[in-house]
Amino acid sequence: MDEFQEILQDFLVESFELIEQLDQDLVELETNPQDLDLLNRIFRVAHTVKGASSFLNFDILTHLTHHMEDILNKARHGDLVITPDVMDVVLESIDLMKELLTTIRDTGSDNGIDVSACVARLDAKSNGTEAPTDIAPAHNKQFQEVKAEEPKAEKPKVEEPKVEEVDASESEEEPNYDDMSEDEVEAEIARLLAQRQEEDKAKRQAKVDAGEDVPQMPDVDEEEEEKPAPKEEAAPKATAIVPKAAPSSPRRQESDDEDIKAAAPAKSAPAMVEQTIRVDVKRLDHLMNLIGELVLAKNRLIKINVDVEERYEGEEFLEELNQVVSIVSLVTTDLQIAVMKTRMLPIGKVFNKFPRMIRDLSRELNKKIDLEIYGEDTELDKSIVEEIGDPLVHIIRNSCDHGVESTADRIAQGKSETGKIILKAYNEGNHIVVQIDDDGKGLDTEMLKNKSLEKGVITEKEADSMTDKEAFALIFRPGFSTAAAVTSVSGRGVGMDVVKTNIEKLNGIIDIDSEVGKGTSIKLKIPLTLAIIQALLVGVQEEYYAIPLASVLETVRISKDEIYTVDNRSVMRLRDEVLSLVHIGDIFEVERIIDAGEHAYVVVLGLAESKLGLIVDSLVGQEEIVIKSLGEYLKGMEGVAGATIRGDGGVTLIVDVAALMQMAKGVKAKPMLESGSSGVVKEKTKASDYTVMIVDDSKTDRTIMRKSLEPLGITLVEAVDGQEALNILKQAEHNFDAMLIDIEMPRMDGYTLAGEIKKYNKYKNLPLIAVTSRTSKSDRMRGVESGMVEYITKPYSPDYLASVVSRNIKFKAELA
Amino acid sequence: MSDKLKNIISKQSDQQSRGTVSQLEDAVQLVGFIIGDEEYSVPILNIQEIIKPIPWTRVPQTPDYVLGVFNLRGSVIPLIDLRLKFGLRTKKHTDETRFIVMKEGNEVAGFVIDRLTEALRIRKSDIGPAPDTLQEDESMIDGVGKQSDRIITILKVKKLLERDF
Repeated sequence: MDEFQEILQDFLVESFELIEQLDQDLVELETNPQDLDLLNRIFRVAHTVKGASSFLNFDILTHLTHHMEDILNKARHGDLVITPDVMDVVLESIDLMKELLTTIRDTGSDNGIDVSACVARLDAKSNGTEAPTDIAPAHNKQFQEVKAEEPKAEKPKVEEPKVEEVDASESEEEPNYDDMSEDEVEAEIARLLAQRQEEDKAKRQAKVDAGEDVPQMPDVDEEEEEKPAPKEEAAPKATAIVPKAAPSSPRRQESDDEDIKAAAPAKSAPAMVEQTIRVDVKRLDHLMNLIGELVLAKNRLIKINVDVEERYEGEEFLEELNQVVSIVSLVTTDLQIAVMKTRMLPIGKVFNKFPRMIRDLSRELNKKIDLEIYGEDTELDKSIVEEIGDPLVHIIRNSCDHGVESTADRIAQGKSETGKIILKAYNEGNHIVVQIDDDGKGLDTEMLKNKSLEKGVITEKEADSMTDKEAFALIFRPGFSTAAAVTSVSGRGVGMDVVKTNIEKLNGIIDIDSEVGKGTSIKLKIPLTLAIIQALLVGVQEEYYAIPLASVLETVRISKDEIYTVDNRSVMRLRDEVLSLVHIGDIFEVERIIDAGEHAYVVVLGLAESKLGLIVDSLVGQEEIVIKSLGEYLKGMEGVAGATIRGDGGVTLIVDVAALMQMAKGVKAKPMLESGSSGVVKEKTKASDYTVMIVDDSKTDRTIMRKSLEPLGITLVEAVDGQEALNILKQAEHNFDAMLIDIEMPRMDGYTLAGEIKKYNKYKNLPLIAVTSRTSKSDRMRGVESGMVEYITKPYSPDYLASVVSRNIKFKAELA
Repeated sequence: MSDKLKNIISKQSDQQSRGTVSQLEDAVQLVGFIIGDEEYSVPILNIQEIIKPIPWTRVPQTPDYVLGVFNLRGSVIPLIDLRLKFGLRTKKHTDETRFIVMKEGNEVAGFVIDRLTEALRIRKSDIGPAPDTLQEDESMIDGVGKQSDRIITILKVKKLLERDF
């Protein structure tokens, strides 16, 4: 049973891979019906699937593929001309085959799908009963035209006239097939086959003469043809996609030839082992997780190294430690990149399905559309490749349906009859950009605005103040569709909305450019990988948050009077744009205790097509972070995408930029400066209402102070060092009237403590009294600088201390 | 000498294995702790570990009893203050404060408790049902364990780990 499962798995993986290739080949075949290599390859797919499925007892699949094989075999032997009609049926049968395979994958059997209708059509085509003899020549003629228009890129050196001649003779002879006896047919087949192979040989000879290295296909029988690794199959395909890829094609051609060269010797030495291995994705994911842990440990190591450097400055071992740390961090980075690369797939995997899609769409919509693909080698993380397919499908459908005009309109506008859609992918820094350009009618901002007004997506006021870019972005609003009529292709108003959500999910950015009459260009900017990301760390009060750098466009420092309030929302002017602002504290309910000062930092966030300015207190820096989930209990908290562990072992939350932009809409503008000490000061009615904190690391000193102050009857709170004192202040259990602070203390000394306390609005006016044995003038000066109001030197008399304290807390003696 | 040792060891293990069997049959092992004035307990098998308080990070938009998240050797784990959850006032952490990390299935969370008491073994027959004034599935109480000198509330870990906001 297990063995069977294993075979089944292999079968499915192999079949899906083959089919992916198939669509591509078939579309290519339609424009290049004479290509024997192509035909052979397609035939082999059907053959392979048929063989394996019959072995595995998938009868329905076997039945279907058997008939596909039939028709392809005839085409291969030249008995049948591939017309668009034939192609439709073949494509239909391939779709069915895919469906069957999916069913097998999901349920383990191929029941439940009816293939008989398709099989009947296949047979009809294959027997030529329906392939009317008078249509064939017409189609052939069309082919000749097509061929004349676009010489085959793959075999640029073939003499065209010869091929056409053959075509012509074929189309003349074709009608006779029905009248022939079987023997005659056989003979005819043999003759045609021989002729075709002869012709093929001639072509090859021509190529060889032209100095190209071409494998000697005609001499190789089928068994051996199947041997060359998929690599070789992939190479010609790549050429096929870019028939007119002008800038890259010469280079490509070269590399393809190289590929073929590389593959050719493999045939003479079949023992050569395949250079790839299949790895379970789970293992890669696990590896990635481990690397994540390593990156965190590395961050921590770097932090510790910095600390150690400070503490043991000038020591010899520091040099060594430094070296080790930099080697570890270097290797970790390399390792991370290497593992990331193992997860990378060429985006061509997604692009592959589009030629077929364009073909179907253009037939359905009755438009002539060409697709050009560039940069299909660009690599992306597997998880992203999986996510990006859907958005691209929607965008391309949209371009075909709404973008490219009908043939008549195009001619009327003096454009070329055939519309063009260009799909390209390229790297840009840590991002990959996928760009979809069409030369259609472009986006009309006025029309977009009117339409949205009509549908109630925006208000009139919004429409008036909209920039062009904002208007373009309207197409991503849910419930928006510009198509006058809903077609089966698009216009239901869901598609582009899907694009937006999917791209947001990937932390991507959408940029639209369009000119009426010229065309539209949509750019999707997507981060290379999802698990380990670069983030900008920002501080607000005492908290830190990590913002994915992919969503950060820029950061600016502004003064508070540059913030304006419009319609109850904060905005600022950023060059020629108006940017709405929101304070990160308002979104994450951060208490504003510390005064942020006159200046603020604005992090300009961009996601999909929208922008937002996020006000933060400080910018900490850029760091590589590993995304960890908050777990089941806190899953789906609004505005938080996850958490990461910082170099110091603390947890930092990662901002979910998409959610934050949503939340920002609900935040009303607040005055930037709110007085922190808004709490009403309670009237002191008894001595114990006064509270004083004693901060000293020596128990004896604390006791002396306590003894001195106890007679007053006031409440006393003790802390053993600055850190603890600060924590007590933060907890705000007491309302302190004064603090007695020792200067020499472990962890945090008195000066630092005073400085920290003065950062809080609430404690700006809290009297801080230094109690110390340091008596020098410079110590006193430092005390004053850090905000101490009194300076008591040890030893002191209890009365003196009591009087200083009561003076500072404005103690009413009558309460005592 | 070594024979003697072996004898002793085998005797001990004999005793132990016999002991465990009887324990498994009719006793539950619990860990007791104090929150406010009351003693509570949870089954020891639900406890992943008990640690001293470490810094945590606040998570916005959560109820006040969710203090935030903390880093437990590389895992990010939520931290819940049981004092607040049980409607008591929050209290400054002391030397006796502990985080108990509990798990049930895939769910893990840390809980702040005032202090630990002891690990105890209660016979199943000594465990009574939760007071029926409380709705059966609403209750966080699994049962009440009777000891010779006191009563211990046994908490439902599953319920504690359930998100209720």
